[in-house]
Amino acid sequence: MKTSLRFGCLVALLLTALAAPAWTQTATYAIQGAKIYTMAGPPIEGGTVVIAGGKIIAVGKDVKVPSGAKVINAKGLEVYPGMFDPVTQLGLQEVSAVAATVDVSEVGAYNPDVVAATAVNPASEHIPVVRASGITEALSVPGVSGGLGGGGGNVIGGQASAIYTSGWTYDDLMIKKSVAMSINWPSFETRTFDFVTFTIRERPFSEVKQAYEKRINELTEWLDRTRHYAQAMEKGPGTYQRDLKLEALVPVVQGKLPLLVVANQARDIRNAVEYCEKQNLKMILAGGADAWKVKELLKEKNISVVLGPTERLPLHEDDAYDQSFATPGELNAAGVTIAFASFANEFSRRLPYYAGNAVAYGLPREEALKAVTVNAAKIFGLEGELGTIQPGKVANILVTDGDLLELRTGLRYLFIKGVLTSQENKHHQLYEEYSKRP
Amino acid sequence: MKRALFAAIFALGVLAAPAARAQSGGVTLIKNATILTVTHGTIEHGSILIRNGKIAAVGKDLKAPDGATVIDASGQYVMPGIIDCHSHIAVDGDVNEGSISVSSMVNIADVLNPEDIDIYRDLAGGVTTANILHGSANAIGGQTIVIKLRWGKPASDLPFEGALPGIKFALGENPKRSNFTPPPGVPVRYPRTRMGVEETIREAFVEAKEYKTKWDDYNRPKAAGEQNLIPPRRDEKLEPLVEVLEGKRYVHAHCYVADEILMLLRVAKEFGFKVRTFQHVLEGYKVAEEIAKAGAGASTFSDWWAYKMEAYDAIPYNAALMTDRGVVVSINSDSGEEARHLNQEAAKSMHWGGLSYNDALKLVTLNPAIQLGIDKRVGSIDVGKDADLVIYNHDPLSVYAVAQKTIIDGQVYFDRERDIAQRAELEKEKKALLEKEKKSAAPAERKDEKKPNGANRPPKAVSF
Amino acid sequence: MPQRMMRRCVGLFAGLGAACALVVLLFAPATRAQGGEPRSFAIKGARIVPVSGPTIEHGTVVVVNGLIQAVGADVAIPPEAWVIDGKGLTVYPGLIDAMTDLGIVSAEAGPPQGGAGAGRGARRQIVPSEIAMGPEDRPGTTPWEIAANEIKPDDKRIETWRSAGFTATLSSPKGGIFPGQGSVIDLAGERAGEMVVKSPATLDIAFTPVGGFWSFPGSLMGVVAYVRQVFEDTKWYEQAEPVYAAHTKGLERPVYDRTERTIARALANKELVLIPGNNDIQIRRALRLIQEWNLRAAIYGAQQGYLTVAEMAAKKIPVLVNLRWPEAEKDADPDADVSLRELQFRDRAPSSPAALAKAGVKFAFYSGGINSPRDILKNAKKAIDAGLAQDVALRAFTMDAAEILGVDDRLGSIEPGKIANLVVADGDLFNEKTKIKNVFVDGQRFEIHEPERPKEPPKGNMTGKWTLNYTTPEGQESSTLDVTMGPDGTLSGTFTGRRGTSAISSAWLSGNTFHFTISITMGPAPTDVNFSGTFDGNSLKGNISVGGFSTEFTGTRPGGGMMAAAEN
Repeated sequence: MKTSLRFGCLVALLLTALAAPAWTQTATYAIQGAKIYTMAGPPIEGGTVVIAGGKIIAVGKDVKVPSGAKVINAKGLEVYPGMFDPVTQLGLQEVSAVAATVDVSEVGAYNPDVVAATAVNPASEHIPVVRASGITEALSVPGVSGGLGGGGGNVIGGQASAIYTSGWTYDDLMIKKSVAMSINWPSFETRTFDFVTFTIRERPFSEVKQAYEKRINELTEWLDRTRHYAQAMEKGPGTYQRDLKLEALVPVVQGKLPLLVVANQARDIRNAVEYCEKQNLKMILAGGADAWKVKELLKEKNISVVLGPTERLPLHEDDAYDQSFATPGELNAAGVTIAFASFANEFSRRLPYYAGNAVAYGLPREEALKAVTVNAAKIFGLEGELGTIQPGKVANILVTDGDLLELRTGLRYLFIKGVLTSQENKHHQLYEEYSKRP
Repeated sequence: MKRALFAAIFALGVLAAPAARAQSGGVTLIKNATILTVTHGTIEHGSILIRNGKIAAVGKDLKAPDGATVIDASGQYVMPGIIDCHSHIAVDGDVNEGSISVSSMVNIADVLNPEDIDIYRDLAGGVTTANILHGSANAIGGQTIVIKLRWGKPASDLPFEGALPGIKFALGENPKRSNFTPPPGVPVRYPRTRMGVEETIREAFVEAKEYKTKWDDYNRPKAAGEQNLIPPRRDEKLEPLVEVLEGKRYVHAHCYVADEILMLLRVAKEFGFKVRTFQHVLEGYKVAEEIAKAGAGASTFSDWWAYKMEAYDAIPYNAALMTDRGVVVSINSDSGEEARHLNQEAAKSMHWGGLSYNDALKLVTLNPAIQLGIDKRVGSIDVGKDADLVIYNHDPLSVYAVAQKTIIDGQVYFDRERDIAQRAELEKEKKALLEKEKKSAAPAERKDEKKPNGANRPPKAVSF
Repeated sequence: MPQRMMRRCVGLFAGLGAACALVVLLFAPATRAQGGEPRSFAIKGARIVPVSGPTIEHGTVVVVNGLIQAVGADVAIPPEAWVIDGKGLTVYPGLIDAMTDLGIVSAEAGPPQGGAGAGRGARRQIVPSEIAMGPEDRPGTTPWEIAANEIKPDDKRIETWRSAGFTATLSSPKGGIFPGQGSVIDLAGERAGEMVVKSPATLDIAFTPVGGFWSFPGSLMGVVAYVRQVFEDTKWYEQAEPVYAAHTKGLERPVYDRTERTIARALANKELVLIPGNNDIQIRRALRLIQEWNLRAAIYGAQQGYLTVAEMAAKKIPVLVNLRWPEAEKDADPDADVSLRELQFRDRAPSSPAALAKAGVKFAFYSGGINSPRDILKNAKKAIDAGLAQDVALRAFTMDAAEILGVDDRLGSIEPGKIANLVVADGDLFNEKTKIKNVFVDGQRFEIHEPERPKEPPKGNMTGKWTLNYTTPEGQESSTLDVTMGPDGTLSGTFTGRRGTSAISSAWLSGNTFHFTISITMGPAPTDVNFSGTFDGNSLKGNISVGGFSTEFTGTRPGGGMMAAAEN
């Protein structure tokens, strides 16, 4: 076999060839004989999953296959829930260096009203690439770019949207329009980059601290104004002048919409946690390079962590060389809920490897699997529909020829919303085209 | 911080104790390992005998000579040290002399920084040799050097002995500055197009040829005994280009798209030099035939794409496709981070494009060694080669593999156990130094003045 | 007050457009030459440390016409000599600060022939004509600038250095890669020419990129490549020039290049080439390049010399040790993760001189940007505490410095015939309590008055970075005062305004009143500007006076005081 992926693609193409476009068809399927990682209990050896109407209707060792179901013999294969990448710019960014293709950060520091889903391009080449690697759900997050966080000057970046990695339109893609408010926690930027001389300069701490406090005061002012606005709203329409930005922040101050706080340095994380507690806001930490230093605090305050790419260098020279690989295990051991995220469309397909590396450095494999599937769903309040293989959940399912977290594992079948979905994508097309070049 | 201490220990050791040297002349036996030789298959429960920094024997039933250091690698894997064909670690100061379009006068060898912590981090990822390149801000960039990651040794001990030096070329968006705007007052630099990149390189080689002629014209009569000759000036910019023309210096060309790859091959043909490697070469799969025919190597990424326009047609099948067409391919890091898991990046080529296990392994061992002209010395586990090895706890082409020991010239430069064992101690040293500093920084108590007693102490609070 | 100075103050005034004729000088200099003093002195019955020989416990030094005439336990005193009772005093050779820009008021060398000029103060706007596109544009290159030609005798620092016992320095032009040639100067004189002892003495090189990203060279490796090319060009010039001179007919005329010519002359003149090297990597690089370029050179910096002594000793390269030891930034991030490597460096840097001495490397000390000359000896004391023998420390300030700079035939020890540069102190020089009583420069006596000290203990702590706001005839201005307060209220630090950065002097907080003086360049020469007023714990309020012109100012400390917590 030349490549497991190609084989998978071929099977998928064969199965869907008669029924284009694939994702409008929701047939009944039975995946039989596989090892099923439900993520809601121990793996089931030689089990069956039944999919119908876009949902999982049965899973177990002795499940009756409904008549008319298309049966997939998955003996020797493994079944997992689809993976969830909880920080991406999927659909918002095509080529990061080409401004015209980037819709990530709005102008100005406070943009709570902008919503990622609005600008998600369903035809982005990234989406098929990403799903061919088993990512079936993603958060598209405005205002957050790059592996270490920090948007284009955004403090409040906007509302993150949860999307499926398959769909013709806005409505097709949508899981939930607004699942979190993204915020780049103002950091103590003691080093600034001077674009004239292309050098890094140290700034005096007092100056930096002042700039930080100014930002925090601004943020507080936004929240205070929002609280007043929320009171005014209760009196009914027509009694107040509408303000779209404040309106967007109302669910945040009411604790209905969590803040997705991008912070990496220990001090920034501590400051954010303290602030959110004081302001009574629901916080999810994103990035978290230094999270291992404050794991007790995160556990105590019950704050989940969406980890930035673990393939990153330690923040400080003296940090252990393997700190970024060991952090997931350390957080998990401290009782903190973690999810892996790519923070970048191009690297979304590395998600399982981040998890696999973490296993190599101490994270139990089962926890690693959860951290690429159900944990993100839980963190963003979507576990009712997503993240596990349980009856009633959306049928986002991967059938692989091996360990999901391994480098050489191929994806045989990909179900998104119960549809056996094509794995064809730009990369594979180019591969096919040029491997045939005479 | 352990690295800092290692540095200190090594630095002192190297200078003061010939014993440290003697150790490398000592004998080590690695036994009970799964040995991935790259050139002659896998040996289960095998042993490697190291003597004087070289591999003295490889086989199933080797006995440890008297006095040999024995490393029991039961259940572990040994592979050749990873060779990173594109790295920017260990550089003091900027990796780009970005001001000018031809910066061949600058030389990475002048600014090696043996204390860059990324050397240690990459060593901990199994890398033993790296090709340290100038950045890609110029059509013709600076001179480059191959080093071994001999962490703790001074800069003069890093260069890979006998490896041919190189020079960085760069094509496409970076040399033509597509992705940033200079600040006010800075004139736009030539070139701004891929056409201009070609002309910049051609012009430099025309100059280099004229320069060589000038010297020949001077040397001939000079050798014949003629006096009163004014020699040409030595030109630090053109000397390395003459070396390229004479085959004494390798060209490592940063490139992305197919057309510029072919452009450089045409220019090389015009002036009679060879392109040793195309670096990144993300569209190499489109012109693999031509690259193979020119005898150039290709050093690429595993799965990077879409970070700029010229990387939009990048595909993770690139390494496999080029290999299929007969190109010598390596996977490089271009980053101190990515270098920490090049074994995994190599493994991806089995997934994307179906390379065999051994071909995947070659991408980060023998192939980059060939590309750098050091394959007689490193790149596989063969008798007579340098004992540059990595020991992993799992199959190195697995996501679960963690490097346990990295060995260069028979010396253990990274040892995971030792690293972990030393963490607490180094933390302690750091704390002690911080405290000492705090103490001496605190304003000294005025010894000559009496401490205020009750009489002149200000009242705590005044109320009326 | 010399008349010259008064005229300047008036001129300055006119320049500022302030219509005031009255010149009020609030603070007299702490040290002055005594008028009508004789040309010969005898310091009698003092402890004499000649450095060139053993210490004389009760001896006499005779100074005549600027030179040392005799020294010994029992020497004749000429009848016309002014006799100074040396009882309880120790006489040392005058100290030498082996690398400074003392006397060179504009911190910049003249405009270079190219180069965007970063490193001479960050410049926001890049001037296209200054962008260098290669070595041929000679960026940051002004080797023809010779310190002796630039010396301004009224640089206030000359006096403060002298008051701390320094009688000579190597002064060098600053800025760029080849900033110019250094001169050894004596720290006293009405006119620059009187001060010069040897000029030019050194050819200075800095490895600081001058181009930013946009102009050559913008990187360290670019600078090294550039310097290499310049030495190649110089070598070429040395070969080409005589050939052409002898055969002008039929040979192509060599292009005139001021840089090549100047450097060729400096090398022929056997000037000491100064190459930077502070940490181990830089030192090793410097050693390698000195060999490659075949230079008669010294390495300056050398603070991590403790790691490289063996190699330095093997190459027999002299060293100038920077006494401004690495330390934490005053306004550093308290949570910053300072690396162990950096902490080790800060801890061990002062042990470098001892290590160099042990390995037999010849070295001198230099102030390296220390603002207050009192700190120079204080920092040398740190090296002594870290194992350096006191007599070696003294040699580094005197004889060894003179030898390295090639002036040991006239400076560096108390020997008959040498220039009468002396320090007379009431005790051991490296003892913090010791007071310097007299300094002789070229046989001229200066009496040292202790700088004005605060009378009351300070109320509060002024340490921190202040923003000062005031209005001048030129409009609204704002400056930064970066200051550290000692326990007795003494202030030290720097003042940065639109005219540049200056060290503060005569600076103290006494009770709630403070004072400091800065020296800035307004018009042709440096001028004292006095700041005084009150400190209420959080803000400053007071007057700025320049000559008779004065204006009010206020000061705030953004981010609060660093030391506020230490107050309770």
